[in-house]
Amino acid sequence: MTRHLLALALFVALLIWHSQAEYYGFELLAEIAVFAMLAMSLDLLAGYGGMVSLGHAALFGTGAYLFAWLSGDAVGLSAPLAMAGAALGTGAVALAVGAVAVRVEGIFFIMITLGFGQMGYEFFFQNRALGGDDGLFGIPRLDLSSFGIDLSDPRAFALFALLCAAAVYLLLAWVLATPVGAVLKGLHANPGRLRALGLRVLVYRAAAFAFAGTIAGFAGSISAQHTQFITPHLLNWTTSGEVLVMVIFGGLATLVGPVLGALALVLLRHEFSGITDYWGAVMGGFLIVIVLSRRNGLVGLLEGMVSGLSPKVKPDA
Amino acid sequence: MLEAIGLSKRFGALQATHEVSLRLEAGARHAIIGPNGAGKTTLFNLLAGELQPDAGSILLNGRNVTRASADARARAGLARSFQRNNLFEPETVALNLALADIAHTGAGWHIWRRLSQDRAQAARIEGIAEQVGLADRLQQPVRSLSYGARRQLEVGLALTGAPRVLLLDEPTAGMSPEETGRMLALIDTLPPNLAVLIVEHDMDLVFAHADRITVLNYGEVLFEGTPDQVRASSVVQETYLGEEGVIPC
Repeated sequence: MTRHLLALALFVALLIWHSQAEYYGFELLAEIAVFAMLAMSLDLLAGYGGMVSLGHAALFGTGAYLFAWLSGDAVGLSAPLAMAGAALGTGAVALAVGAVAVRVEGIFFIMITLGFGQMGYEFFFQNRALGGDDGLFGIPRLDLSSFGIDLSDPRAFALFALLCAAAVYLLLAWVLATPVGAVLKGLHANPGRLRALGLRVLVYRAAAFAFAGTIAGFAGSISAQHTQFITPHLLNWTTSGEVLVMVIFGGLATLVGPVLGALALVLLRHEFSGITDYWGAVMGGFLIVIVLSRRNGLVGLLEGMVSGLSPKVKPDA
Repeated sequence: MLEAIGLSKRFGALQATHEVSLRLEAGARHAIIGPNGAGKTTLFNLLAGELQPDAGSILLNGRNVTRASADARARAGLARSFQRNNLFEPETVALNLALADIAHTGAGWHIWRRLSQDRAQAARIEGIAEQVGLADRLQQPVRSLSYGARRQLEVGLALTGAPRVLLLDEPTAGMSPEETGRMLALIDTLPPNLAVLIVEHDMDLVFAHADRITVLNYGEVLFEGTPDQVRASSVVQETYLGEEGVIPC
């Protein structure tokens, strides 16, 4: 409950920033919103379900390419249909990948998702029809002019991206409050016992992978509309690693943590890359501090501070 | 209810199970005993579906489940507990039981209803918690429970979903005498028509609570009969009970 309040406070803060921002701020806000969606979907998989994937960005990139392809001249779908197609298509890809990947656990799962991710990366990198390593540009944005909204305006688009991220948060928060959330925690804690109790563990893990992939694909379709230019780099494992860092930095299995993590990393990169070329080292330092604090990321730190501030209740003798 | 016919299982040179047959009717209280290495655990795992037999077949409610996976058998009404507590450690007792209920009912796909709104499930969970003596500890995380309470939860998970057959793997393993007493009371209150198979070291428990006993030795059935027949059997006395002198009179 308190985490939902934290999420609400965060959303309001981002809206206030949005009301004060200028061009560069809008770009940052849209980027934060996109990565927040991606990180939240990875948290569902890794934080809750215990399936740490290093191929999540490949699904994100697949969503971006699917949107570009479906909305482009070759297919010519309208943007809303292309968004739906990108999300569902990515979900279908994730289901196929998941059907294989979920047969293994732990480090082997990390490796198999890395392998699938790099296959995806290579596919788009080498595919001339999809622009190869130059990528694709001229990607359209959703047309909301019938509602009097012009998404080609950075201010409107940043707000649109923030609202999409809020919608993803609400969807995932809902899903996690249903039996699905319980089963994900159970799969994390003890998949063997769930199987002994009668759950089809592999089917369930594959479905969770597909669901997280659908959200990642949706985030990819927003990213493609944001930059209107996509390259295979979106799918690369370094992007997957960055998203995983956002989740751990913010707090695993907290849902709001990945949003905080996305905010923190996008801001740190922006602030420090202007000052020093070694901004990656600065970020590494922050990550080490967070991990060594033995708290669950930023959310764990905040919760530790709050419980430290509140007066200790002495147990009855 | 549960029938095993000619089960055999070999690990390399070791014949862990050799042509073992047994039959559990509804309401049975059947125990498997035998010295260490007699093949009790292998037999248990064959019945539960963790291992596949090299030969023989297993029938559950008349259905051949020899090749069925452990989870398929669980859905068909075959529940099991574990010798070493096998729980969802970070979670509460209530969530542990909820997971058992979800696995049984298939509610894991119900994304339209919050877990906390499932009143019928909450009632079922309370019923099981009552049965295994954990009703006042539903909101405690498993980590904070005593060993004995975890053992009780272990049985509680197996009892969720009203199974037809219950396999108990050394339910009193590692328990203090007081905790053992609580577990025995629990076993006595199991539903009368539930078929129960117990693998157990504790001879007092076996002879006091089982109505039928299978004695295993070197993977084979040495003897099968009522507790009185097992006590009277000279072959059992010689090869197993006599040497340890543990037969309760």
